[in-house]
Amino acid sequence: MSVDVVVSEAELAEMVEQVWVSYLDPEGVSPLIPTYDESQPSEVHSSVSITGSWSGHVVYASSTAAARRAAAAFLAMEMDEVSEADLSDVLGELANIVGGNVKAMLPPGAMLSLPQVVLAPEAATKYPSAERISGLYGTWEGEPVSISMWRSSNDVKQEKTA
Amino acid sequence: MKILIADDSRVMRQIVTRTLRQAGFGDHDLVEAADGQEALDKTTAEKPDLVISDWNMPQMTGVDVLRKLRAAGNDVKFGFVTSECTPEMQQQAESAGAAFFIVKPFTADRFDEVLSPILG
Repeated sequence: MSVDVVVSEAELAEMVEQVWVSYLDPEGVSPLIPTYDESQPSEVHSSVSITGSWSGHVVYASSTAAARRAAAAFLAMEMDEVSEADLSDVLGELANIVGGNVKAMLPPGAMLSLPQVVLAPEAATKYPSAERISGLYGTWEGEPVSISMWRSSNDVKQEKTA
Repeated sequence: MKILIADDSRVMRQIVTRTLRQAGFGDHDLVEAADGQEALDKTTAEKPDLVISDWNMPQMTGVDVLRKLRAAGNDVKFGFVTSECTPEMQQQAESAGAAFFIVKPFTADRFDEVLSPILG
């Protein structure tokens, strides 16, 4: 049975800020600016699943332009040099870093999956029996970026086994 | 010295390489491994002086690589660079014989602080 833990938006924001400071915006000139717009569009997304003491998913979604910018920053190259493989790899790593940091805030006994990357809007992936419990929505250099947490519903599993 | 960087993410291997350079360790000979099995094989074959490994990798986790190396009598300096950092993982890493634990995201300063005593 998973415990009822919520990583707050403020905590998500703190983790994301670390990622920006370390890799995406070391100069501190182009932070992620919150929009609080849960319905903002995305073109690509990545996710990691957490199982054990807490079960759910951590999802990173953005426009293709923002993903390309992230890959260029990660790899220290120009945006037009970024290949699709670079894009996928960086998206996977972003989900992995945020997911790993989320896991560190959960009770002992949580396991993290390898990242899954989908070069399609976030809406293309369904997370069965999971509901969004928190999310950070913003723009980076005018492009949409979001990080959200989805909690799997254990009640559904319990009903099935009852 | 020879350093093996084990991470299934090519991007993260490049970032670790770049951060090593930024921290002043760019002159060392670098070898890469893309999963746990490759990390184990290359550590045995290439005999690096230091292994910098991710935790969560296909084929074999980083801590399992470390345990297998130690079980085979290999005493190479081995540390983790990972996005996951729970007390239980740090405990596992320590008891398996890890020399350090760096959490992603990391900075060149953090690399310098942790690796200077090892790399000189």
